Amino acid sequence: MRRRSWLLWLLLPWIAVAPVAATDYAPVTPGRALSLPADAGAHPAHRIEWWYVTGWLDDDDGASRGFQLTFFRLRTGIGEDRPGRFSPAQLISAHAAVSDPSVGHLLHAERRARASGALAGAAEGPMQAWIGDWRLADQADGGIVARASGERFAFDLRLQPRLPPTWNGEDGFSRKGPQAEHASYYYSLTGLVVSGWLTVDGRQRPVRGVAWLDHEWSSEYLPEGAVGWDWLGLNLDDGGALMAARIRRADGSALWRFGTLRTVDGEVRELDFDAISFEALRHWRSPRSGVRYPVSWRLGVDGTSLVLEPLMDDQELDGRASTGAIYWEGAVRALRDGRAVGRGYLELTGYGDALRLGSGGPGR
Amino acid sequence: MLDISNLSRRFGGPGSRIVLDRISLSLPPGSYVAVVGESGVGKSTLLNLVAGLDRPDQGRVVVDGIDLTTLDDEAMTRWRREHLGFVFQAFHVLPHLDLLANVALPLWLQGRRGREADAAAAAMLDAVGLGGRTHGWPAELSGGELQRVAIARALVHRPRLVLADEPTGNLDPARASGILALLREHVLSAGAIGILVTHSLEAAGTADRVLKLHADRLEPLS
Amino acid sequence: MKQGLAAVFIGGLLRRRAASALSVMAIALGVALGLAVHLINGAALAEFGRGIRTLAGEADLRLTGPASGFDDALYETVALHGSVADASPVVDIEAGVVGKDTALRLLGVDALRVGAVQPALMPRPGGDRADDAFAAFDPGGVFLSPALAAQLGLAEGDRLALTSSSGPIELTVIGRVPGAGGEAIAVVDIDVAQQRFGMAGRLSRVDLRLKPGASAEAAVRALAPLLPAGVVAITPEATVARAAGLSRAYRVNLTMLAVIALLCGGFLVFSTQALSIARRRAEFAFLRAIGLGRRRLAGWLLGEGAVLGLAGGVLGCALGLAFALAVLDWFGGDLGAGYFEGIAPGLELSPGPLIGFLALGVAAGVAGAWLPARRARAIAPAAALKAGAGDPLTVGSGARWSGPACLSLAVVACLCPPVAGIPLGGYVAVALLLAGGVLTLAPLAGVVAAACPRLPVAVGLARARLQAVPGQVVVAAAGVLASTALAIAMAVMVASFRDSVDRWLAKVLPAELYVRAAERNQAAHLTPTLQQRLADMPGVAAVDFLRYDRLILDPALGPVALIARTLPADGDELPLVGEHRVVDDPVWISEALVDLLGLAPGDALTVPLAGRGHRFTVAGVWRDYARQGGALVIPLERYRALTGDDLASNAALHLAPGVGVDEIAVAIAAAFPNGGLGIASPGEIRRRSLQIFDRSFAVTYLLEAAAVVIGLAGIAASFGAMAAARRREFGMLRHLGLTRRQIAAMIATEGGLTAASGALGGIFVGGAIALVLVEVVNRQSFHWSMDYRVPWPSLALFVVAIVALAALAAVLAGRLAMSDSAVRAVSEDW
Repeated sequence: MRRRSWLLWLLLPWIAVAPVAATDYAPVTPGRALSLPADAGAHPAHRIEWWYVTGWLDDDDGASRGFQLTFFRLRTGIGEDRPGRFSPAQLISAHAAVSDPSVGHLLHAERRARASGALAGAAEGPMQAWIGDWRLADQADGGIVARASGERFAFDLRLQPRLPPTWNGEDGFSRKGPQAEHASYYYSLTGLVVSGWLTVDGRQRPVRGVAWLDHEWSSEYLPEGAVGWDWLGLNLDDGGALMAARIRRADGSALWRFGTLRTVDGEVRELDFDAISFEALRHWRSPRSGVRYPVSWRLGVDGTSLVLEPLMDDQELDGRASTGAIYWEGAVRALRDGRAVGRGYLELTGYGDALRLGSGGPGR
Repeated sequence: MLDISNLSRRFGGPGSRIVLDRISLSLPPGSYVAVVGESGVGKSTLLNLVAGLDRPDQGRVVVDGIDLTTLDDEAMTRWRREHLGFVFQAFHVLPHLDLLANVALPLWLQGRRGREADAAAAAMLDAVGLGGRTHGWPAELSGGELQRVAIARALVHRPRLVLADEPTGNLDPARASGILALLREHVLSAGAIGILVTHSLEAAGTADRVLKLHADRLEPLS
Repeated sequence: MKQGLAAVFIGGLLRRRAASALSVMAIALGVALGLAVHLINGAALAEFGRGIRTLAGEADLRLTGPASGFDDALYETVALHGSVADASPVVDIEAGVVGKDTALRLLGVDALRVGAVQPALMPRPGGDRADDAFAAFDPGGVFLSPALAAQLGLAEGDRLALTSSSGPIELTVIGRVPGAGGEAIAVVDIDVAQQRFGMAGRLSRVDLRLKPGASAEAAVRALAPLLPAGVVAITPEATVARAAGLSRAYRVNLTMLAVIALLCGGFLVFSTQALSIARRRAEFAFLRAIGLGRRRLAGWLLGEGAVLGLAGGVLGCALGLAFALAVLDWFGGDLGAGYFEGIAPGLELSPGPLIGFLALGVAAGVAGAWLPARRARAIAPAAALKAGAGDPLTVGSGARWSGPACLSLAVVACLCPPVAGIPLGGYVAVALLLAGGVLTLAPLAGVVAAACPRLPVAVGLARARLQAVPGQVVVAAAGVLASTALAIAMAVMVASFRDSVDRWLAKVLPAELYVRAAERNQAAHLTPTLQQRLADMPGVAAVDFLRYDRLILDPALGPVALIARTLPADGDELPLVGEHRVVDDPVWISEALVDLLGLAPGDALTVPLAGRGHRFTVAGVWRDYARQGGALVIPLERYRALTGDDLASNAALHLAPGVGVDEIAVAIAAAFPNGGLGIASPGEIRRRSLQIFDRSFAVTYLLEAAAVVIGLAGIAASFGAMAAARRREFGMLRHLGLTRRQIAAMIATEGGLTAASGALGGIFVGGAIALVLVEVVNRQSFHWSMDYRVPWPSLALFVVAIVALAALAAVLAGRLAMSDSAVRAVSEDW
């Protein structure tokens, strides 16, 4: 699982206490045939959905930076019978970040709004999610626009898919725990070719790079006992792609592991619990929060092993003041036998004991 | 007839200063006497006692058979209104009354108002030499003229007793003698008793008799 | 020498303790009143402004429109506008609390938007909902500001039932609005406010934060074409300024009254200084003779006035502060006038006003000493040293033409238009009338004296003195004139106002019974169904329905009340004033709009209704004491045709013959249980209105009382000083045979005549000032007219009382003169 970072935390307690029975959320069941572009857009009958873009950007000076843009859609079950402009039935939130070694820490911004006309929303059909002028949308020509801005950064990127989508799990039915009800529909677009503009601290520059898009929706997400997760999405230089994730218990043990490997020749293989292993190589302690994150990993996949090294250590996202969530989400390089073989994003959640569940939320 | 007997007055409570000690004096109508004495010897106190403005600690003041010391304040005031004329050193002519009104004031006090009172006052003003200025104002007059007005006022109601306290104290000598002569003339022509209190021997010289006041006696000045 | 002179002059003030104390008290009273009024209103305004700023948060601009709201589609347009960084939509309504006779301010906000623009309004879930991420969207939840929670005594988990058109709405308190501090507000989700409280599809306002670099002026221009008719973009500062403007006239009026009280204090200083200087004439002559320059003599005398003023100022500041604290405690920030309801201001002390009022006190002292000091400058030493010269009490009578000149100028001043909404000309006229009155006192005293008999002698003497020395009357009666004038002016004005309001109420409340959807509640309406049920009630002969709204006709003005009601074509049921006509599409405007918009019958007026401007023709002007900001009336049928809004706010019930009001009221209450209907008879409304009226004018009675005390103090001080100065005169009169009683009678007559002169002048001046207050000051400040009415019996009683009190004060002050020591003073050495 992924990201969803603060929003999930925000969701956890809600999922726990909300009168689920009162709202008729669509279930996630195996065997449903997913197809694009029909499933690229929103599935408002499900409780939660997100579109998650991560990637690396290189500028003309050879400097590399990471970027991330996520849109969430949340069906609250509130006010669905009152079709007003301000109905809180569907909430949209978005999060964007830029990881720039010359800055030394993440630059990030977030927006939240109730879905309402041109102001915020997530449309069905082709992918289209927006809040104000932030946007993640399929274009008629097959490209994708990703646009966001914060106080110190802005990006306006075009992502060009080269490969067919990767359907995670069983044709996109992705289990998140031992019980079949904890599952999501989940596909990834890997090896997206990026071009566009990045502005950091007022300086605008053209950038190119490679990106990854996840689209996932569900109604019953995390199994009981989960406190956090580690997730990796890696574009391999040879054209392949690797997604690996584990859901952790409080004692650090893996409650669930899952992954997908796409080989250079297009073969897609689901990785099950035992096919993946995580071993922390190096930790970094945040000077701000004191939280200790395993920022360097040895990842075992089917007997082969990769070493993951971060673009920079400090990619902690300290949202305690706003969303209340604190986690690490950053650009990483993959090395095999000391040789760089790919670039991707790593997400580490649930390491701070300050994972004050539910401390996030619209009221925060 | 004025009879003063054993008049005593002390100020400031027991053991205090005795100003007058058993003074006696007897004057028939038509008397015009001067009382002289050192400063502070009690000349003014004597006048106040005679006028009933002050109460003696002891002794009597009898005028025409009426013992003034037995009268209450009201009666004393009424008696004063009828029978007493005053001339002050500082004139005390009321600035907001014209000359006629100032002179007529004692008549008004007796409830006599109107033509008869005005005529009497005008005649009196005429008598003191201010006949043409009945409707003049005190502010327009010199000191001597003010004192003439005061003399007219003191005599307009035909009093039995006229008390003059340093009537020329504020006047230059030239005017003083005229005023003293006028006062004497009018007191005598009215048949009243005149008592002139002064420290000026010159002024005292205009009286028929001069008495020197000591704390315990009045003795003729030789 | 300097120290020696200080002992002569300033030390002299201590020797004249009683007179000095009175002067100090009078100045202190004026300063205290002025400062208190200033502080109280300042505190209220500051709190009010702070409240608006708190609620406006970081908003640079606010879109606001009718109280009934505007189409919420505007929100999207504006939020996406290039100059707008953040937009926060707000539904702002008043909702009645079920079971209580109060309404609360209910704000519907978007918790996801409000934080960026108005963090103070951010709802925070608490209690067992503290961890509920979606509590802010809970359709059954409400968040209370700390102030409101305390006011209602509610905590998390408690229930709060509010009235609405569809019946009571039960909400649960699920958290606080901690940022709102002292504001008494309740916050719900904007969707809840729209859907459940009758504002579906409508917003009350949108608060905007602009993008960096965008100016508010430019944004206002850029947004203007996007806004429907009746919606304007204004800055929060403008809102504060508008609120301040509404109460400014009231504040200025009070401050002016305080200044007049100070003026009375100045007159008193004038009286005592004039007398004291007259008495010390010989002393000054002596000082002049031994080498004190004219200028320095006058300087020292002004210094005496300054010392009195300073002492009064210091005492007044302390009193004013204490008074302000007490009043804030007891009445609240508007002295009970109702401009700042629902806030609890705290006193904020800055040195500025303290120094200012201290300076005013000193100025009053110096001004009072000015003329007497000039008089003293002119003393000729030789003449004054000569014993027996008459007392020079001619000061203050002035040139013969100066009184009439002042009075004529006052007429001119009345014709001046207001300056920045303040009737400056009116105030100048009041000052000129007072000055003219004082300058006319001397001849007036002559007339009064001439009316007196010559006998008994005490009266004759008093009469003679008044005729001969009118200056003395001026000195002693100036304070009486000023205070009588002030008291009479206020009494006449208040009586006129009250009488007019009373008759106005009778005119605007013709029906037997009034039904409100809820007390001041915009959230609740009489729906067509309810209207029908009311009309069908047995015993109800006819019902007139009323629809209220508040519109913005002009961004520079505050909201204007819109009243749509059934009305005959000639508007005859309104309290019309002046010319009116029958026109097509009529609108009847209140007097305030005549002044504010410069409209007259026959003019066209565009009224924004349902987002579109509609052209009406002014058919007439009506008198409205309820809405200072202006109100307009249009026929209900026309309103409904133009807006499609068939709700009603109010109903006026005409009963069938023989049906009792009480019985119908009971029937309605029974027929609409929990309907939140307020039922009132005209008598009840009238009683309550007049109660509010009396409360807001309570403070003026205080000022009147203060003025009277000052005036009497003036008489007492004058006669005290005069008695001392005239001891020898009294002594001589005793020699001549005046009894104590006669002298007392003489002094009393002088005092009475003096007071009568002052009171007579005060009646004329006060009547004229009342005319100015009614026709100029009120008209220009509050934009309403009233009918002049003089409360003769109480005024007569007042004048008799003040003359009697003045005579008594004179006698008490002159008691000294009747002592034996006065007798001896005749022969005292000079």
